[in-house]
Amino acid sequence: MNGALSGRDPHTLAGAYALDAVDDADRLRFEEHLERCAECAQEVRGFTETAARLGHALALTPPPRMRERVLAQIGHVRQLPPVVALPVPEFPEASRASRARRARPSWRSGSVWWPKLTAGLTAVSMAAAVVLGVVAIRAQDLLDTTRQDNRQIAAVLAAPDARAVTDRTEAGGRARAVVSRSQDRLVFVSSGLSPLPESSTYQLWRIGPSGITSAGLLRPDASGGDPPPVVVEGIGETATMGVTVEPAGGSRQPTSTPLIMLTLPEA
Amino acid sequence: MRAEHEPRPRQDRGRPGLEELLERVARGDRTAFERVYEQVAGPVYGVVLRVLRDPAQSEEVAQEVLVEVWRGAARFEASRGSAMSWVMTIAHRRAVDRVRSAQAGTDRETRAARLEVHRPYDEVAESVQTRLERERLRRCLDGLTELQRESVTFAYYGGYSYREVAELLKVPLATVKTRMRDGLIRMRDCLGVER
Repeated sequence: MNGALSGRDPHTLAGAYALDAVDDADRLRFEEHLERCAECAQEVRGFTETAARLGHALALTPPPRMRERVLAQIGHVRQLPPVVALPVPEFPEASRASRARRARPSWRSGSVWWPKLTAGLTAVSMAAAVVLGVVAIRAQDLLDTTRQDNRQIAAVLAAPDARAVTDRTEAGGRARAVVSRSQDRLVFVSSGLSPLPESSTYQLWRIGPSGITSAGLLRPDASGGDPPPVVVEGIGETATMGVTVEPAGGSRQPTSTPLIMLTLPEA
Repeated sequence: MRAEHEPRPRQDRGRPGLEELLERVARGDRTAFERVYEQVAGPVYGVVLRVLRDPAQSEEVAQEVLVEVWRGAARFEASRGSAMSWVMTIAHRRAVDRVRSAQAGTDRETRAARLEVHRPYDEVAESVQTRLERERLRRCLDGLTELQRESVTFAYYGGYSYREVAELLKVPLATVKTRMRDGLIRMRDCLGVER
């Protein structure tokens, strides 16, 4: 297990998670944890099966008209495709074309980034863990929380076009974004990033055809653990989200090579 | 620790199991979907009704869940668990979403009143298999400590978040999280759920 998670062991949430007794921020954080904890994933599988048995024992015959309605309704419902790799190959083409059209951003390490970006594409692990079918139905959960953040997070997760992308740092840190083009927003979560001295900070960037803009700093949460999920608004034509280490307070443009590059699904 | 004659929500030999049927549903097979419906409609309706308590609303939500099963069949991954648990997860989450959105804005007494509904088996079981399943479930739940049982059932049957459960039981958050986990470990072992 990862001792770096210190005070807040997300592992203990496994039971509450399997019982749907968590809010969206907890859920996102825990799913992030699950991706790199095989043991936890297995425990959750067992718990989910167990919870299903709690429900299964309550089987009751529904009114017969329900069957007719469901069968009639599926005639008009388009089925979702399986969750597989996102259309990665299109990205470099599209971005190269759009880069040709625009002025290069005034950004000195650009020549270092771009090759790394394309090379990094194959390494980006894709969307495997998006439980879209499940996540996408949580549209009603908004009101259960007073936190605006949670509402926005829930709205992104519940968007029909929500897609997830993930990346990891060489040191084992992880990042995930759930992106909704229709909402023009994404939710960014990171975990296990190496602690930084006070003189520096992690900064999140939107990278797109019209340049690079800051999407804010990633600060550890109050207890020094992983930063809370960040809602990034106005993603527009952003093609990639990057994370760099910057001097405390952040920079106007990135000054170092990104540790994380998340290639977003296209609109 | 496997029970011998457990009625398991699993496939019979020689008949396509739910997993296989879902694969066919994912390819647009309506006949396969009708068979899936036969197997899951009862459990889906039962769990939704348990959480929501209101038959009209439950019917509506159960219907949405079943349409979601059709729509999202391709998203089912057998490596991540059984088909029944995939369906039940969708059903339970959707019921919980509905209950949480409905309760927003209502006062605490109303929410507390919902607690009376957490006994999981007051409806009459309709089939022998379901009756046996409930007996076993009751026995397993009886094997939990009171706090474990309350934590698990308030959450699953009552649709409460662990924060709400902590508030209701007046115990620290960390305690509730632990009791839910410990309770599920015991239930898992008692029910003979494969790991």
